[in-house]
Amino acid sequence: MPQYRSVFKDETKLDINYVPYRLPHRDKELRLLMEFFSFILQFPEKMTQRVMITGDVGTGKTVLSQRFGADITREANKRGISLRYVHVNCREYRGNLFLILHHVVSIFHPNFPRRGYSAEELLRILLQILDEENTYVILTLDEFESLVEREGSEAVYKLTRLQEIRANKPQRLSLICILRNLKIIERLDPSTKSTLQSNIISLEKYSKQQLMDILNDRVSLAFNPLTVPEDTVSLIAELAFSESGNARLGIELLWRAGKYADTEDLGIVTPECVRKAASSIYAVMRKSDLAFLNVHEKLFLLGVARFFKGSQKAYASLAEIERAYAVVCEEFDIQPHSHTQLWKYLQRLSTMGIVQKKVSATGSRGRSTLIYLPRISAYELEKELSMLLEKGEA
Amino acid sequence: MNIEDVFSSKLRVKILKILAQVGELNVSEIARRLGVNYKTTNKHLKILEDEGIVQHKVFGRIRLYRFNERSPKARAVQNFMEAWEHANKQ
Repeated sequence: MPQYRSVFKDETKLDINYVPYRLPHRDKELRLLMEFFSFILQFPEKMTQRVMITGDVGTGKTVLSQRFGADITREANKRGISLRYVHVNCREYRGNLFLILHHVVSIFHPNFPRRGYSAEELLRILLQILDEENTYVILTLDEFESLVEREGSEAVYKLTRLQEIRANKPQRLSLICILRNLKIIERLDPSTKSTLQSNIISLEKYSKQQLMDILNDRVSLAFNPLTVPEDTVSLIAELAFSESGNARLGIELLWRAGKYADTEDLGIVTPECVRKAASSIYAVMRKSDLAFLNVHEKLFLLGVARFFKGSQKAYASLAEIERAYAVVCEEFDIQPHSHTQLWKYLQRLSTMGIVQKKVSATGSRGRSTLIYLPRISAYELEKELSMLLEKGEA
Repeated sequence: MNIEDVFSSKLRVKILKILAQVGELNVSEIARRLGVNYKTTNKHLKILEDEGIVQHKVFGRIRLYRFNERSPKARAVQNFMEAWEHANKQ
């Protein structure tokens, strides 16, 4: 019986909740967060801090905050300071301040009752617990938008101005608010806004190269050596970059592609595995899109599909596709169209999102166009097109 | 109170069993789990607290009860219950 060997070494390293020790291209922001909260390591009772982290989906807001939380907690505990980092996704609690605070309180008292008091009382109870246990908390409110949307200024004001009702008592609760952009903050009243807006860390969208670095890091953590070729990583980075530089999507694609490789017992994660993974994540291309193509567009696309089906490469040059197209035309006994015409087909297919093109890096031989299949398996595409062409629906 | 008086009540034993299982609970929830009213629960909790077996903390209007960590009686009860449960599982 042949022995099954997975491409994965440790797939938990691709889990959405995994927080890596190293955050490529977020070192500066991590240092900045440490700077903002450095007081906690020296005189934690003297002040609290409020920081906002903004950025698009998949720019590393959550992981940055969690890495920081783990690092600063470890450092504080080493110095004998009792510090807890609590990360709450506000959306999970429907943006309800009471439920969010109840979650925090239940970390200290797991069976704390859910009824019989208000959010404001719960906030006081939380501070009482922190006083009694001489503990400090950095509370991260992820997807902060949902809290603002539901509770408005009042709740945010309560959280941010907490210390003012506790004069001469140690300061206990610092906040990190994570949100996609600052627009929602405009809804808050001026005084609440002013307490929040002093420290803002904006995370820029990752470039393709940065995404490759992130993916390569995860590949080395999660996969067995030599199971993920560079072309595969590059294709995933390309797809993640086209989705607003979304690293989370890239990692998800990497995991799924690994699963497809294991299912077929390939021992290697090929670009075709990535395309299958992508078509399972994105809405699968509608078959009607293909039916609307003219005969030569279909033949051209069949050439693309066959090229990638028979190759381990993620990218093809236009010349390679032209050759595959010529073979397909011969099979269907149709005279192939010229290069200029094919270029137009490529433009149209690219606009429709069925294929993608990019310009290759400048080398000694100049620039050329590279074609790749982003979101559909070459195998599936070939099957669909062959069926359409044979039916004569073209 | 004599040991036989403390443990002569089924409800008091049940309260201790609940606290041994969950660690800490408020009065209403203990009452709900016992299936008796708040007042009765309170009365039994007071007896157990007077004996130093349980203690409570107040958070606003909430009282959370748990075993008194410093009491040798509480430790003895916990050990007894643990041993009992363990023997039952075997």
